[in-house]
Amino acid sequence: MPDIRIEATINGRKIARAAKPHQRLIDFLRDDLNLTGNKEGCGAGECGTCSVFVDGVLMKSCLMPVAKAHGATIDTVESLAKTGELSVLQQAFHKAGASQCGYCIPGMVMAATAALRANPFADREEIKERLGGNICRCTGYQKIIDAVELARDVQNGRLPAAALAEEEHAEGDFIGKNVRRIDAPSKVTGRLKYAGDMTMPGMLHVQVLRSPHPHARIVSIDTTAAEVMAGVEGVITAADVPGQDGFGVFVNDQPVMARGKVRYVGEAVAAVAAEDPLTAKRALAAIKVVYEPLPAVFDPFDAMRPGAPVLHDYAPDNITKHIPIRVGDVEKGFAESDLVVEENYSTQAIEHAYLEPEAGLAYVDPDGVVTIVSPSQNITHHRHMLARIIAKPISKVRFIMSPVGGGFGGKEDMIYQGMLALLAMKTQRPVRLVFTREESIASTAKRHPSRTTLRMGLMRDGRINALALKMICDGGAYGLSTEGVMRKAAILGAGPYAIPNVRVDTYGIYTNNTPSGAFRSFGALQTQFATESHLDICAERLGLDPFAIRRINALRDGGMTHTKQKLGKVSLARVLEAAEKASGWEAGAPNSRGGTRGDLDRVDTRPPVSLGARFAGEDKQEAAE
Amino acid sequence: MLICDEYITPSSLADAFAAMTRHRGRYRVVAGCTDTLPWAREGRAGDVEIPVLIDVSRIPELIARRVDDKRVRLGAATPVQRFLDVPELARALPAGPRCAVWFADDQIREQATVGGNIVNASPAADVTPCLIAHDAEVELARSENGAVARRRMSLTDFVQGPGRTALQEGELLTAIECDALPAYGGSFEKVGHRRSLVISVVCLAALVKLDAQGRRVEDARLSIAGIGPKPLRLSEVENFLRGAPLDTGRLEQAAEMPVALVASRTRQEYRRDVVRGFMLRGLVNAAKRAGADPAALSAELETAYA
Repeated sequence: MPDIRIEATINGRKIARAAKPHQRLIDFLRDDLNLTGNKEGCGAGECGTCSVFVDGVLMKSCLMPVAKAHGATIDTVESLAKTGELSVLQQAFHKAGASQCGYCIPGMVMAATAALRANPFADREEIKERLGGNICRCTGYQKIIDAVELARDVQNGRLPAAALAEEEHAEGDFIGKNVRRIDAPSKVTGRLKYAGDMTMPGMLHVQVLRSPHPHARIVSIDTTAAEVMAGVEGVITAADVPGQDGFGVFVNDQPVMARGKVRYVGEAVAAVAAEDPLTAKRALAAIKVVYEPLPAVFDPFDAMRPGAPVLHDYAPDNITKHIPIRVGDVEKGFAESDLVVEENYSTQAIEHAYLEPEAGLAYVDPDGVVTIVSPSQNITHHRHMLARIIAKPISKVRFIMSPVGGGFGGKEDMIYQGMLALLAMKTQRPVRLVFTREESIASTAKRHPSRTTLRMGLMRDGRINALALKMICDGGAYGLSTEGVMRKAAILGAGPYAIPNVRVDTYGIYTNNTPSGAFRSFGALQTQFATESHLDICAERLGLDPFAIRRINALRDGGMTHTKQKLGKVSLARVLEAAEKASGWEAGAPNSRGGTRGDLDRVDTRPPVSLGARFAGEDKQEAAE
Repeated sequence: MLICDEYITPSSLADAFAAMTRHRGRYRVVAGCTDTLPWAREGRAGDVEIPVLIDVSRIPELIARRVDDKRVRLGAATPVQRFLDVPELARALPAGPRCAVWFADDQIREQATVGGNIVNASPAADVTPCLIAHDAEVELARSENGAVARRRMSLTDFVQGPGRTALQEGELLTAIECDALPAYGGSFEKVGHRRSLVISVVCLAALVKLDAQGRRVEDARLSIAGIGPKPLRLSEVENFLRGAPLDTGRLEQAAEMPVALVASRTRQEYRRDVVRGFMLRGLVNAAKRAGADPAALSAELETAYA
């Protein structure tokens, strides 16, 4: 594979370097020039974290073979604040609080820069349209758009430069004040290093061999051919685990790599550390794994039936966790109710899709301390588990939490850190693993898909007399956070309502699907989706306004939850009032309006999503002609 | 991951054909690469080893364009963004800017090429219906005894089905030629799962030319994609509208005509609803941009579909 020659002007400096013909511009910028402000969020042009100016035109560097950069002038996010002084847009992002995890932000700043270059007077809708190629998962877009509008107005002289300065507040006075984030400058400039941006001298690159089967016995793994390949420094399988294998947030049922059998498509089976990622990939292809496929189960109801395939010996009924809650006498409550309504609700698996795919760097320090740098959301627990897995005293295991480019619960699991530790120990060199987006989606936790049967007994005046809720969740192949998710789903399942008779059962079930785990709200979403949807249906049946039925049943100050927690202050009444006001809610039962209603299409509600904001002036002109 | 041993960027058509001959059976032609790179990833083609990539995006002839009031000639490697930012092109292809604004995003449009969208032959291609409505022809070139031999065919015939075209081994799509229709009002309607970076579930290009009073349809051009294996020209509907008065009833009848053509593998019922709505919206928007008499269309229709 002969190298190609790249001569280009990058951030104002001439470069002349060799590159591999298969490299993309993003690889060249990040790996060869260490310009890591350009992030790789998806590698498929979907997210915009890698945008750079090529001859003054913004493009996605993950979609560009490096050969196209030959002779070009390239400006990356690093060029915007080259001397350390933030550009107006970067200052506006800082001021507006338009950075949270920060992983999408360099790309957002670049797209905003391009948008205001294309039209310095772009209105909010046009800004949104021109930033359409960039995804953010945590900031929430509003502040990003606010920041672009602020920068536009400062650039156009409609606002003074002072508008970019921090608002004054007294020393130590933060609550209710607009306080700027300390780490925002590092994020808007792309200077902040996430785990995948970090390098060490002598560092090796890790790739993971993953299971193509949902359920199979591993008959044999032959790594000999991979071991002898030039450039391969270490190959590991479950056999390399020196201590007691197994991790999880509640139950340690998941081995670092599949041990004896695989339980889901995408489960790690072996890993390779090599001089470069391509060599590591080729070594994976040389590992021979013989599988004996086993019957698999993909539906939690099927998994609960007698005779279903069993995933884990310790759980012959495939139940990861059952959480029951009992208050009062539910059957009596139904019998005494004026109306009993039963419905079924389901929710699907959801991927967190944080913009930073999992990545980690590990090394053994001069004192023999196995050190893992990764965006782990749970480093202390990981440290304890890893010490047991690699049979070292806790003082010889160190976890460093790198900036988390979005987590939402999805980085609580020690999915890959164990492999990094083993490879660092085996090779005695620094090793780095960076997931692809596809790998992240295939191998890490999802929100639990759920199916809930909810039965509610109510009095004619709207009071809830009894609630019975049974939720079955697909926990996937391993326990991860399932137990905690089932617990919180049960605790919060009946909602913030005073109900005398309650029966809640939540079940997390093992299946051969991708494991489910922690995800924002941690189980509350699934049960409350059922409870709140149900309340609307019941309101309709009783001819009540949905806000009214909630007020009738709301827990009040000093009330007791159905898990016997005494509440001091309950803010529900305030929340309902604020929601009712903000939505411009038209009072009445859900079915009281017929085909039209007065609270839609108001001037302050968002219009339907469309494109073409940049033609708005043109259309007005056409109308005038 | 896309792995290659050699990446060739020819600077002339002759060099490109020489490279194609030299590496026969071992190469793939690329231009913007915005489809090829995502294709070579897990879940689609996976890791792909192609010994030689031949990048035609810098061949002068492939990025040249000629536009006048009668005809448009576009080099096949013209980036889609030019539909939006070249005023004379926007004037000659009235649905072009709105087609482009729905195509991927501002950044990808700078790389993705018109020819690439055509050659990919996706049933949901956005650029293809836009050009079919202009009676587009494709120009195909090959090397024959050291000279460049060319042939032409209509774009409708060139695209044969999902991923299938009439392009032959050793042949390159070099240019697209089509009618310039500056007197027409244009619209492009598209729906997908999100706003930017989305593949069309249905998309429709509509062009309407009206008489001086804005009350009679002198000509209509309609092409739709996403409802079957390849983009379609809606000639029957065009004939039904041509010469007819511009009125709500006629447009509603026209909107019903292509509903029966929906032959996609999935979501047929949804697509039928979309086709009906898009036909009305596309025709109303195009007619308005063509200078429709405001009295010609019912206010109800305008608010519902504008």
